[in-house]
Amino acid sequence: MPAILVSNLSKTFRTKHKAAGLGASLHSLISPQYSNVEAVRGLTFEMESGELLGFIGPNGAGKSTTIKILTGILFPNDGEVHVLGYIPWKQRRQLAYHIGTVFGQRPQLWYHLPAIDTFILFGKIYELDDRAVKQRISYLSEAFEIVDLLETPVRKLSLGQRMRCEVAASLLHKPKLLLLDEPSIGLDVVAKQHIRDAIREMALRENVGVLLTSHDAGDLEALCKRVIVINHGQIVYQDKVSVLKRSFLNSKLVEVRYAQPISPNFHVAGTETLKVSKDLYAIKLRFDPLQTPVENVMAHLSAAGTLLDITVSDPPLEEVIAKIYETTI
Amino acid sequence: MKKYLAIFKINLLNSLAYPAEIATRSGMILVFMFVFFQLWYVTYTASGLQVLNGLTLRDTMWYLLLAETLELGRPRLARVISQQVKDGSIAYLLDKPYDFMLYQLGIGLGESLPRMGILFIIGGILVWALAGAPPDLQNWPLAFLAFSGAWLLHFCVNGLIGLAAFVAEEVAPFEWIYQKLVFILGGLLIPLDFYPAWLQTLSKFLPFAYMMYGPARLFVRQDIQLFIQIIIGQLFWLALLGGLLALTFARGMRRLAINGG
Amino acid sequence: MVRELKFLAALWKINIASAMEYRIAFLSQSIGMILNDGVYFLVWIIFFDRFNNIRGWQLTDMFLVFGVSAGAFGLAGMLFGNTFNLGDIIINGRLDYYLSLPRPTLLHVLASRTVPSGFGDFLYGFISYFASGQFSFGGLGRFVLALLLATIVFVSFLVIIQSLAFWLGTGGTLTGIAINAMITFALYPITLFNNAAKLILFLIIPAAFMGAVPAGFVRGFSWYLLGQMTLASFSFLALAVFLFHLGLRRYESGSAIQVEV
Repeated sequence: MPAILVSNLSKTFRTKHKAAGLGASLHSLISPQYSNVEAVRGLTFEMESGELLGFIGPNGAGKSTTIKILTGILFPNDGEVHVLGYIPWKQRRQLAYHIGTVFGQRPQLWYHLPAIDTFILFGKIYELDDRAVKQRISYLSEAFEIVDLLETPVRKLSLGQRMRCEVAASLLHKPKLLLLDEPSIGLDVVAKQHIRDAIREMALRENVGVLLTSHDAGDLEALCKRVIVINHGQIVYQDKVSVLKRSFLNSKLVEVRYAQPISPNFHVAGTETLKVSKDLYAIKLRFDPLQTPVENVMAHLSAAGTLLDITVSDPPLEEVIAKIYETTI
Repeated sequence: MKKYLAIFKINLLNSLAYPAEIATRSGMILVFMFVFFQLWYVTYTASGLQVLNGLTLRDTMWYLLLAETLELGRPRLARVISQQVKDGSIAYLLDKPYDFMLYQLGIGLGESLPRMGILFIIGGILVWALAGAPPDLQNWPLAFLAFSGAWLLHFCVNGLIGLAAFVAEEVAPFEWIYQKLVFILGGLLIPLDFYPAWLQTLSKFLPFAYMMYGPARLFVRQDIQLFIQIIIGQLFWLALLGGLLALTFARGMRRLAINGG
Repeated sequence: MVRELKFLAALWKINIASAMEYRIAFLSQSIGMILNDGVYFLVWIIFFDRFNNIRGWQLTDMFLVFGVSAGAFGLAGMLFGNTFNLGDIIINGRLDYYLSLPRPTLLHVLASRTVPSGFGDFLYGFISYFASGQFSFGGLGRFVLALLLATIVFVSFLVIIQSLAFWLGTGGTLTGIAINAMITFALYPITLFNNAAKLILFLIIPAAFMGAVPAGFVRGFSWYLLGQMTLASFSFLALAVFLFHLGLRRYESGSAIQVEV
């Protein structure tokens, strides 16, 4: 039984137009002007229980709207949605007992108090037994390495520490599904790593499904097995992350460093030179392995001089996704 | 001079661009005037007299309107200045080639003039309907002078409170105390004429009566002697408080120069 | 029901803890509020010193009215602090947080904040009652009951007003006027108002149920008054809950203001 079943989901917002100023306000009262925004159109996808699914798309793509519908905060114009067997907007409260949410932009922890106070409150909100809560808190704080931070007022924590506490709070009631909306926003590289690892660990240990929406392709690469790319309210691509990278963009990047300087006009047939370093010792190029055999390129490169260093890589996921945004609809 | 005029104009236009704010304040003054009228109408009727303590019902209502207009319409300068002192932005403002206080004066006037005007008109319509026509036109000029003096006194006190932020954590308590003193000793909610004698005498020696009672009372009843008293009082307190303000400001500037903001 | 009470208790506990984090601010705001209420009362003392009564309404009655009103206002602030900014919460989409949790939304929202000065008002309510000279143990019981019922009316009224934000997209202005009107009318003797005005004060802006009626009940037990207060409390509460949930449907359809795609 899939954790999430979405079929032909559509949501259109009807918003009033209003310019600034007194005159416009009066005008809008008498004859209001509306415009329709189709946030989501015919969206269909599934998520297995315990799966790690990523949702990526540019601003205005429909990610937040979809998440809100999944949590039951918003109801759609059309389509069917089942989350953990519930219809979200009809059984919001029952569903709430089994899902956890972390919104990067909307903190759940009480700002002036230590995180543990919020944890205890959550225990009451989810009607958990007192002793069980205490055990759960110590378990989670170990997993997220926040044991020493529990008694510190949240306002004194760094963003990274706060986010770890936020995620821990969202797992307090052992939800079957965790919805994360931009969890790593504003975090530095180390903090991002830290929190991604912690989430992945917990998700696997407790078999919690994780639905992650993000701008950051790094989040997806680190956390998700499968990704859905959404744009203009529709799914433009969905597959495993590994497949995504491999199939969508047919190019390889090669960076070489030589012992001697090379000619500034250095070129390998069938490749595109991206950059030649100022000192003429290094070069970066790109090619499509389906057009130009890897073997040829390598041979050419090693013939050109004494190779000190060589790196062959796939393009970053960001590029892949940007390409996807461009090529569809 | 021109730059202060420009500042004044900008703030004037700015404050007119927020209809919600205007609506809130107008709503408040209508509620107040309505309730005040109920209170004083019943009081006058119960006494069986037309004139109480030298004032008719109509006088009392217009007194209260003017007092409330000043109270609701004056700029909350203390808050603005204290905020600027606390977050250090005052340093940037002092950089500018004009006198800081004149700058604040321009802002304050620009902000409060339209506000007071609207409050007075809207409140006045209600008071006219309930209690009768506004006071004779001959009262207006002197009352206006006294009103300006009162406004300036409020400005000085607010400025001092705002600058107190140099030495105090929170200026809100001072603001609050001053406001309450004006309420009671300035006769905001009840004209001082109704007060027990000893309290009236006390208020003559303090600035608050000159900040509220003076202009409101002169507005409703022609009284040259009172006018002279009020003006002298206002000038005295303006000199005192204004001087104090200038001194405090100079001190503050020196403190800033030393501490670097 | 029991679960909700347990939840509320935990929520209130965390509220108070959060407010107490800034002990000095908490204390000063509470004390400040007591003094504030005291000053307004002082005005009435001055008034009743000059005019003995207003159509039968005396200073003693004012003690009781202030007692219940301040107490109710304070209780609302302490336990249901978000009553005052529900409109803002709705407009800024902050209901999402409460909607994603398995507790009754309205209750959760309202009880998630404590206004520190509320303690001051609440305490003042009791001080005013004790100072009224009407104290008795029976009276105290009636006072507490009256206070609870008045709080329900007050909170419900504000929820009704601010639920309009679901449709209008703005809240602040109307809320401000509504609170101001409620307090002002509640603190003025009911005997001042004619029947038409009284109708408004009972049915539309229920200030009568925040001041005059509870005060009367504290003076002496009466089934009639008790019945009135209970009926008013539950009617306004029912309307508030109904209207809020109607608005919530609209919020969930996404047609209410902020659209974050």
